Amino acid sequence: MTSVGVLQIAIFFILILICAKPLGAFMARLFEGERTFLHPVLRWLEVLTYKVSGIREDVEQRWTQYTAALLSFSIFGFLLTYLLQRAQAFLPFNPQHFGADKVPPDLAFNTATSFVTNTNWQAYGGESTLSYFVQMAALTVQNFASAAVGIAIAVALIRGFARQERRTIGNFWVDVTRATVYVLLPISVVAAFLFVSQGVIQNLSSYTDVTTVEGAKQMIAQGPVASQEAIKQLGTNGGGFFNANSSHPFENPTPFSNLLSMFLIFLIPGALTYTLGKMVGDTRQGWAIFGAFSVMFLIGVFVCYASEQAGNPLFAKIGLQTAATAGQPGGNMEGKEVRFGIANSALYATVTTDASCGAVNSMHDSYTPLGGLVPLFNIQTGEVIFGGVGAGLYGILLYCILAVFIAGLMVGRTPEYLGKKIEQKEVKMAMLAVIATAFSILFFTALSSVITFPAKGYWNPPGPAIANMNNSGPHGFSEILYAYTSGTGNNGSAFAGITANTPWYDLTIGLAMWIGRFLFLIPLLAAAGSLAAKKKIAATAGTFPTHGPLFVGLLVGTVLIVGALTFFPALSLGPIVEHYLMHSGKLFSMIVPPVGIWS
Amino acid sequence: MWEQILPGLRIKIFLTIVLGVVYPLAITGISQVVFPKQANGSLVKAGDKVIGSEIIGQNFAKPEYFHPRPSSAGSGYDATASSGSNLGPTSAKLLRGTTKMDEKKNEVVDFDGVALRVVHYCVENEIPYESSAPLDQFKDARGDLDDVKLVKAFNDDKAPLVFKPKAPIPADAVTGSSSGLDPHISPANAEAQTGRIAKVRGIPAAQMKELIAQSTEQPSLGILGEPRVNVLKLNLMLDRRYPVRP
Repeated sequence: MTSVGVLQIAIFFILILICAKPLGAFMARLFEGERTFLHPVLRWLEVLTYKVSGIREDVEQRWTQYTAALLSFSIFGFLLTYLLQRAQAFLPFNPQHFGADKVPPDLAFNTATSFVTNTNWQAYGGESTLSYFVQMAALTVQNFASAAVGIAIAVALIRGFARQERRTIGNFWVDVTRATVYVLLPISVVAAFLFVSQGVIQNLSSYTDVTTVEGAKQMIAQGPVASQEAIKQLGTNGGGFFNANSSHPFENPTPFSNLLSMFLIFLIPGALTYTLGKMVGDTRQGWAIFGAFSVMFLIGVFVCYASEQAGNPLFAKIGLQTAATAGQPGGNMEGKEVRFGIANSALYATVTTDASCGAVNSMHDSYTPLGGLVPLFNIQTGEVIFGGVGAGLYGILLYCILAVFIAGLMVGRTPEYLGKKIEQKEVKMAMLAVIATAFSILFFTALSSVITFPAKGYWNPPGPAIANMNNSGPHGFSEILYAYTSGTGNNGSAFAGITANTPWYDLTIGLAMWIGRFLFLIPLLAAAGSLAAKKKIAATAGTFPTHGPLFVGLLVGTVLIVGALTFFPALSLGPIVEHYLMHSGKLFSMIVPPVGIWS
Repeated sequence: MWEQILPGLRIKIFLTIVLGVVYPLAITGISQVVFPKQANGSLVKAGDKVIGSEIIGQNFAKPEYFHPRPSSAGSGYDATASSGSNLGPTSAKLLRGTTKMDEKKNEVVDFDGVALRVVHYCVENEIPYESSAPLDQFKDARGDLDDVKLVKAFNDDKAPLVFKPKAPIPADAVTGSSSGLDPHISPANAEAQTGRIAKVRGIPAAQMKELIAQSTEQPSLGILGEPRVNVLKLNLMLDRRYPVRP
């Protein structure tokens, strides 16, 4: 690791720390229904949205109604995204004339699911598949919508703790509208122009034909990228306009645009911790969660950075410079861009998987085993290290419930969190969410490791599901594990070598996304409803304080232990064994063995 | 229940218009006026012909030019198919390369692999190396290096070819980028290529050093990012200042 590399990580972290309070306080005011400094400029748009959509601003919803509204919003989002893709041939802004043949039903299903669940997993390459209109009207809109949903759920859960003896937890439509109009849209507009100033493209032209200096033909893809890039990062969506995502120079041309991207990813998740503290009337509670986030983030980033900078010993053996020198970055440069080098690639990989973003500026598939383990494990914790917009906060609140429950078991007292008794119902709901996601990851990974299909058939043309891997041995297993982890965790990054665009993978990964999103959300909303109905109890000498280092330690411990116990066996078969094999010089060739339970 | 569900459709349509049409078109309109060059891809023109984009890598193979990094975008620097190799650290394909049969049943290189790239990099740039077998064994009838023979030699499990430069070479020179369109190389990589270019173009070595120093982009604010050299810009500067004599 170089000192400049460490300094860049520090600068990034300090930026997030500085912005947590002002934005967090702003959101607290906003979601408590107070006027903010943006109201004079944007209130008309909020009112117009209510009028057009038939929403009553002053009516609140019980958790079941809130959930129904969430499902309605998501299902219509899904249907529209699906239809726009399938109909792209008949819609405007399609200079490359992409038709429905580019998006068969299984792919359109996968993509629509992906953008409704804030996963933004991409089984397609944007520049060779989708028209500009679909990118804008279907995908950009869902980027906003799924992020707004995340914020809304987090706020509803906060209300569960902040209120007492109430049957309602807010109004879903109002929360979504306010999140979009006052938070996501204004920041996106500013960020989009900053991106364009750096060289991110924003046009509707057809692809440019180029005759290169040496006389070869090159065709350069174009499109309205910056407007999507801004919300892609801010909403922790992560679905790239181009196949190579944020490593593509048109999405992320300079170190500044790279810093801006990472800043946008952590901005809202960091600030929401302060919103929590403010709304429950004790900002120390918010900072404790920010502290737990920070500990886990910094551990991850330095493990990843150290592994990538140490590089691949097999490269060193054939004469590649793996130590950093003044004129070159050293380390493992396969799948990384020169302008980002090792430090910014490792930092980005950690940030994008801590949050449920999934944008990448380097190819995780080519990381060293331990460097790649960090992103994989980050997602498997449930993305509760800052996490997705909203998703990170409601995820960590789930772990808070578990942490105080475990602490309660140790001393034999009924656990409390933020003045609410944590009882059977809350713990059951938290466990349901944890188990559903773990099951989805492990079950689908196991299934795809053994299932076979007739070669050249409909379900999986390559034949056995493992024939879709781009790498063999433990790394190939990691590709499958990462795919279902990413889908279930609604992350969207990938060990992208795997050929995921076949009906089998499109459908199962799509299913994993639905499970990961809604079997996580709905139990939490149920818990929010149950919490809101409870009385607040005063803290006594016997109350376990949840704002000190002891609680931060307990919370981090709970996240790591739950993650480690659930996924350690699977990780041993992938990155951990690969690490030792790499150091013993073992290489793997791509030969698909005859396997399978139904072969 | 319906009053919770119907707004879903109406708000979705409204947001599609505001966020899916008005927002991107407004950003497009303003960007086209304020940042016309960047918004349209930072294109580089020679006369009125577009010869590339400043920030999209393009291939250079001739000896008189600086060469970019290996690319996995399409068949190499295809700017409609951005992609990395996605090969992992224990991939035999990444290290040693693979061959395949083409339509005419000739054996050709399918993926070149890092080992083969090291050989070419050393030979092209006259970097001293050690090899377990003389490279003359791997030449074709015309005396050029035969890549198929080399890849097979690297993959020979019994007695693999062991080839190693005497001093380590910059990693970015022989590894693929993430996008396959990386417009940059490291300054050390540019430095290592200067001998070849100076020879072909007849430029004194001191001037080559100065040229690279001039075209090295330093980290923004001295901290952000890595020092780097834009291959297209550097090659265009070479052509302007030291044209190749026909």
